[in-house]
Amino acid sequence: MDDRLKNPGPVMTDETFVLLRDFIYEQSGIFFADNRKDQLASRLAFRLKANNLSDFEKYYYLLKYDQNAARELRALFDSVTTNETSFFRSPPQIQAFQDKVLPEIMAAKERRGEKTLRLWSAGCSTGEEPYTMAIVLSQVMNGRRDWDVKVVASDISEKALRSAKEAVYGEYSLRSVPPEIKRDFFVAAGSSYRIVDEVKDMVEFQFLNLSDTRRVQLMRGFDVIFCRNVLIYFDDQVKKRFVSQLYDCLNHGGYLFIGHSESLHNISRAFKLVHFPGALAYKKE
Amino acid sequence: MEPPVLERLKAIDDLPTLPSVALEVLSLAHRPDVTIQLVAECIHRDPPLAAKVLRMANSSFYRRGDRQVETLHRAILFLGLAEIINITTSLSVFSALTSRRAVEVSIREQFWDHSVATGLMARHVDKKLQMRSLGREFVAGLLHDVGKIILDQYFHEEFMAAYNLSREQDRPMYETEMATCGTNHMEVGYYIARKWNLPPYLQDVILWHHKPSRAAFPDMAAVVSVADHMARAAQFSCGADTMPFVLADQDAWAVLKERGVDVNGLDVERMTFEMEAIGHQVKEYIETVMNPEEGGRRDG
Repeated sequence: MDDRLKNPGPVMTDETFVLLRDFIYEQSGIFFADNRKDQLASRLAFRLKANNLSDFEKYYYLLKYDQNAARELRALFDSVTTNETSFFRSPPQIQAFQDKVLPEIMAAKERRGEKTLRLWSAGCSTGEEPYTMAIVLSQVMNGRRDWDVKVVASDISEKALRSAKEAVYGEYSLRSVPPEIKRDFFVAAGSSYRIVDEVKDMVEFQFLNLSDTRRVQLMRGFDVIFCRNVLIYFDDQVKKRFVSQLYDCLNHGGYLFIGHSESLHNISRAFKLVHFPGALAYKKE
Repeated sequence: MEPPVLERLKAIDDLPTLPSVALEVLSLAHRPDVTIQLVAECIHRDPPLAAKVLRMANSSFYRRGDRQVETLHRAILFLGLAEIINITTSLSVFSALTSRRAVEVSIREQFWDHSVATGLMARHVDKKLQMRSLGREFVAGLLHDVGKIILDQYFHEEFMAAYNLSREQDRPMYETEMATCGTNHMEVGYYIARKWNLPPYLQDVILWHHKPSRAAFPDMAAVVSVADHMARAAQFSCGADTMPFVLADQDAWAVLKERGVDVNGLDVERMTFEMEAIGHQVKEYIETVMNPEEGGRRDG
């Protein structure tokens, strides 16, 4: 039997999908390709319910014209970005970081006789992202001790930061972690996993509000910044200001990764857009 | 010492051929007086091909709406001439190049994935840039790397050496092919394209898709080059070409800019994300071409 007959929920027509998709892209820079229509529909079904609406067209009108549109937009962003984070999230980005970006930056630095690397996870939540960066970094380093490396991880949530510093995770956070990495970089502790000290010590956590211009200005000299699914929480003006600050935070030759299917197209032209297999990144030349 | 690959290639007398009807259809596309009737009649001269085209027009990939299309004439009416030419060419190319000694299956798979992805993406890029290439960009994308399949088939060892070298050293295939075969897939493809008597624009794209500024049909070569890059970015690469790239630094980009195409206004990120959906169609397309009965029978 057709799923829709079993479970009569609202149906998203192709036309409405395009309206909503384009609206979301315009507002947030997050793009839902045609093959992700069902995903969008199922996420937004919750927003329909919360607003007591019977179909997606009405929801679109609410977003466009209702006086509470701004508030709903925030709820919409929350539901379209999976808030949960995990290790090795968006594998093609991590692959690009590991296979191309780090080797390129390190080779350039070695030519100049520099042996320091500074990475930043901006909006690190409970720590999965910065620890992933540190794991990858230590794999690329492959036992070399002569480099001075550090991952700075910042977030606006004290609670998330406390949890990040604990460095203990459940099985679910590790679902995308390859077995050999699990073996080498995690220690089983009961039903949980603890990050090995060697990786834990590479990461330095700090409280930081990314819209605090003066504080962000102090962040300097980074080679790679991960700032994934953060920009959507800023309005256009703040976003533009913040991204141009991120540009200043990077060293020449440095890279910025934003969320998979997030775009800076209308935000900044300062970077070079680099295509990797399955991933985009922004380079400061 | 053995003579160079290109010389040895010229001595081979059982190179694959395209059905004459497919070539005729391709050339009909350029005639200003082309009519639906003319194309339908031409395809009908190869009944098995005609049947396959019809089945493909009725497959879930091409089908519009619920109605089964009963005749070629109606299929052309529904899908348009350009699309019928694309279908005919795809079917012919696949049947000419798949059945023979498939030595390394994985490379073959990659090849078809990459070719179809490039064709589909060329169509998308063409639309985005409003180039109005009328479907020719799809055929050009589909065929641009044909030299690779010939190299793989007749000079397998040399080609695999180029493939491995490209992986090990992170260098483009056309460079490593030069090192191991003394030629590259563009030259080999150009040779076969001439032998097949493909339309000039196809010969041109096959030869210049890595350097569109040298092409006689630079617009078409540039569209295919962009599509080629986008296919690789969407993880449909043929061989080991997985190097990162900046689209705006490519020869194709300069060509498009020079020819007045508004590339700066193009939202490249969005185009990249849209390609994801196209990526999902690649397998479906290949399955339909390889096995049009399946799609045709559905709710028939």
